[in-house]
Amino acid sequence: MNLTRLAAVIAKEWAEITRDRLFLGLAFVVPPVLMLVFGLGMNLDVENIPFVIVDHDHTPQSREYAYRMIDSRYFDFKGYLNDEHQIPRLLSRGAVRAIVVIPDKFEEDLAAGHAVTVQTLMDGSFPLRANIARGYIGAINAYYTQELIAKRLTTAGFSQKQARQQMGNLRLEMRMLYNQSGKSIWSMAPKMVMMVLMMTPPLLTAVSLVREKERGSILNIYASTVTRGEFLLGKWLPYAGISMVNGVLLWALAVFYFQAPFKGSFGFYLLATFIYSFTTTGIGLLVSSFVKTQIAAVVMTMVVTLVPAILFSGMLFPLSSMGPQAQVIAYLAPAMHYARIIDGTFMKGVGLDKLWPSVLSLLLYAVVLFSLAYYFFTKRPQE
Amino acid sequence: MDETPVVRIRGLVKNYKDVHAVRGIDLDIPKGSLFGLIGSDGAGKSSTMKTVAGVMSYDAGSVNVFGNLIDSESAAERIKLRLGFMPQGLGQNLYPDLSIEENINFFARLRLVKSEDLGERKEKLLRMTRLDKFRDRAMKNLSGGMKQKLGLVCTLIHEPELVILDEPTTGVDPVSRRDFWAILAELLAEKGITALVSTAYMDEASRFHSAALMHHGRILATGEIESLLRMAPGTVASVAAQPQLEALKRLRGRFEQVVALGNYLRVFVPEQTADAEHVVRDVLKGLDVTEVQTDTPELEDVYVSLLELNGEGQAVRELPSPPEGTVIHLDPNAPVIEAVNLVRDFGAFRAVDHVSFEVRPGEIFGLLGANGAGKTTVIKMLTGILRPSEGAGSVAGADMRHSGSTIKKRIGYMSQAFSLYLDLSVVENIRLYAGIYAVPQREIEPRLRWIVDLAGLEGMENALTGSLPMGLRQRLALGCALVHRPPILFLDEPTSGVDPMGRREFWDVLFRLSRQEGVGLLVTTHYMVEAEYCDRIALMHAGKVVAYDSPAGLKADVEKRFGQLLEIRCENPYRAQSVLRDHGFEDATLFGRRVQVLARDAEAVKNDVRKVLDAAKISVQSIGRLPLTMENVFVQNVLDLEHKAGLAA
Repeated sequence: MNLTRLAAVIAKEWAEITRDRLFLGLAFVVPPVLMLVFGLGMNLDVENIPFVIVDHDHTPQSREYAYRMIDSRYFDFKGYLNDEHQIPRLLSRGAVRAIVVIPDKFEEDLAAGHAVTVQTLMDGSFPLRANIARGYIGAINAYYTQELIAKRLTTAGFSQKQARQQMGNLRLEMRMLYNQSGKSIWSMAPKMVMMVLMMTPPLLTAVSLVREKERGSILNIYASTVTRGEFLLGKWLPYAGISMVNGVLLWALAVFYFQAPFKGSFGFYLLATFIYSFTTTGIGLLVSSFVKTQIAAVVMTMVVTLVPAILFSGMLFPLSSMGPQAQVIAYLAPAMHYARIIDGTFMKGVGLDKLWPSVLSLLLYAVVLFSLAYYFFTKRPQE
Repeated sequence: MDETPVVRIRGLVKNYKDVHAVRGIDLDIPKGSLFGLIGSDGAGKSSTMKTVAGVMSYDAGSVNVFGNLIDSESAAERIKLRLGFMPQGLGQNLYPDLSIEENINFFARLRLVKSEDLGERKEKLLRMTRLDKFRDRAMKNLSGGMKQKLGLVCTLIHEPELVILDEPTTGVDPVSRRDFWAILAELLAEKGITALVSTAYMDEASRFHSAALMHHGRILATGEIESLLRMAPGTVASVAAQPQLEALKRLRGRFEQVVALGNYLRVFVPEQTADAEHVVRDVLKGLDVTEVQTDTPELEDVYVSLLELNGEGQAVRELPSPPEGTVIHLDPNAPVIEAVNLVRDFGAFRAVDHVSFEVRPGEIFGLLGANGAGKTTVIKMLTGILRPSEGAGSVAGADMRHSGSTIKKRIGYMSQAFSLYLDLSVVENIRLYAGIYAVPQREIEPRLRWIVDLAGLEGMENALTGSLPMGLRQRLALGCALVHRPPILFLDEPTSGVDPMGRREFWDVLFRLSRQEGVGLLVTTHYMVEAEYCDRIALMHAGKVVAYDSPAGLKADVEKRFGQLLEIRCENPYRAQSVLRDHGFEDATLFGRRVQVLARDAEAVKNDVRKVLDAAKISVQSIGRLPLTMENVFVQNVLDLEHKAGLAA
């Protein structure tokens, strides 16, 4: 390892990055922009579900029932509907996602102790959202029913306390830990850091190397005495550095813009991100050994990095709910390990003492990726 | 001189999947020589050079460099500090966003050149290449000639013992090429560097001490240039005779190599000089022979003769008569193309600067110039693709400024890239073009047969175009451009990448099209030798037409203004060049082992040269007259223009 040659390769690479507007933009502008776009767009919370109510009863009780839903922050009340024939049109246009139909004689039947059916029509085209909305409506309905029963027991002569006792004592007390208000952006924003760092840095690394192959300047490397290790390291370090800078930028965005809680140690975050940066750019380095054109480098890097980062990192689906094969894949993907670290530092405030297996995995990754890239790179290729 | 060659190649074979790039060659490159690999694209030059530079593995045989067998990456590493490699493609290996100085520094640091040596060497090389004034300019903003010189500096900065330069002059204008060769010769002579240089230009052979002629992965011949030229003993006769087509037919019946060059027919007569004129006149008895001139053969004649010996000779074909059908008729007396003061600006850059010329029916007109001279822009304006900033023009009787679609119907256009669909078969490509040009349905079949016949593609009608060799693809592209029988044909760099044999065959088809069918042809090329095929030419440089006449007329003009070309054979030609320059012969130029000067008064100059060289104790073997080439014409015109511009400023 000769430091003069290594420095020459790094200095050349750095000059090319900073003078090429496209590269510079991809290095420092695109990652924060991606973070903003994804962060604002990938909100998994189901709130403000647009809905309408068809009230055939028009009694104080039917209105009271309706208000339970109208008042909820999960629903966005679009008004009463008089004409039921409009329902298909509204649903298909997407103007409303749910319709609650309160039947005729709602108050009367309830008072008489008959069972009453309230019809709910839902837009099921996006099952995740529909299921959550169904849960909300079910919960509101159950709570209202409980109140009705309590009221009836009171009118039957029980005291309020007795009424409650009569209804049983099993109560559910729920508290969400680490993310008390259950906001998805709190957990999504940090995971965006994981994803965005998996996107541009490996891409830049692969493209910068393949670009030299395409242009022919790689022949300077082949024809000179610079070693494989010096050249690959000279390509690796600048892009890992760029990734590091982005790690800090994106952290700031997550904490200050998206208001995600950060409970862990910043030093540990930096260390983990440093190692992760070498892992992600290492993927780019390895990809570039197998492709000859920039377009192939882009496509292949995207497939290799993004698919595991989105599907197998636990960002969208928890690891425990995956099948056994999927879990194996997840453990093989570096994104999953960094996602654990991110979860740990942001939400739980744990550090190296708990997360060392993930950090070690990432480190192992970086070493293996570089070794493979070193093995496959040749200064005297077939063509 | 050291006995062991710097490079020794035995039985080298290199394949790329199904392509046999190098098919078993032997080559020795002696120390201190300027060795040329001459051949067209696909001859195997680049593959050979890459294996020697140790940047590509090979399949069989052996490559020894400095006595080391290069058979592995680690073996190759051992020689890399002692050699410099400049790959193909103008400035392709340089870094566009880095300045001249930063590029040089990068190469130097990669080679661990000590900073105290670097400063001195860099200054010297920058001064010699006259790049010192531009040291902070980004490489992407350099001209082709400057990029090429920067590439040379970067290759030489660590003072290698062997330099390998892959087509360093392709696409560079002749003035820069001449400059490049001068600098290279000076550096090599000074440091005793051995150089392996490839070129696709046959006319550059005279620059080398020794050379190997390559063709389809084999070496046809190798040796010193003089001995290569002796391999095809004979005479070249240039004949002007009328009727030209009849003269061509008769000469072809008697001689193997007959080429039509504008109004001349060039015949290779494999006999002694004294007989040649007589024999040719005898063959042409009864025709109106106005001129017979004899010269010594050039390397291209040798190349073609050697190919003929290998049984790969030129197939002389008659041009098939075109089928009956719809033809576009134009006024036979009016020029088919007329350009009047055409100007085109791209932002602040003037790509085309007041260009005027006309092309007559049945004429082959050449637009000659280096890459970036403005040729393609002129063609784009004339074909209605690009609007001119100023000026006027007409093509096929239609005003180019607002009759773009009329023009497109009346012309054929063959582009540099041949614009064929490689995944379609021969017939499918022709049908596609027939469809695009709306050839009536019943006329498609006869035209298809005619094009297959014209391009010599019988039996290959259903072959995929991508599987055809370049020469055949080129003729298929020509056929496709002719599918609607246009009276005007534009050809943009139609011969790039095609070997000399293919080029000759192609020009033969063009000649017959112009003479038999009366098609007006506008051809662009950066091969100066190809200008000889044209009836008249316009030389373009930096967006301007610097000369406009027939090739013979242009040469006569240069001879009148600047004198005849003299070639001096002497001992130590490198020193002779500098001695002559010091004594007032500023244009003395080194060509391989010979020196050329221009002389207005040939006899007086011969005496002066002898006197000067005798005084310097350099023994002169001979001083002879050389015919002027189109390159001389181009260089003299451009230098004169620059000289005048310098005086004016």
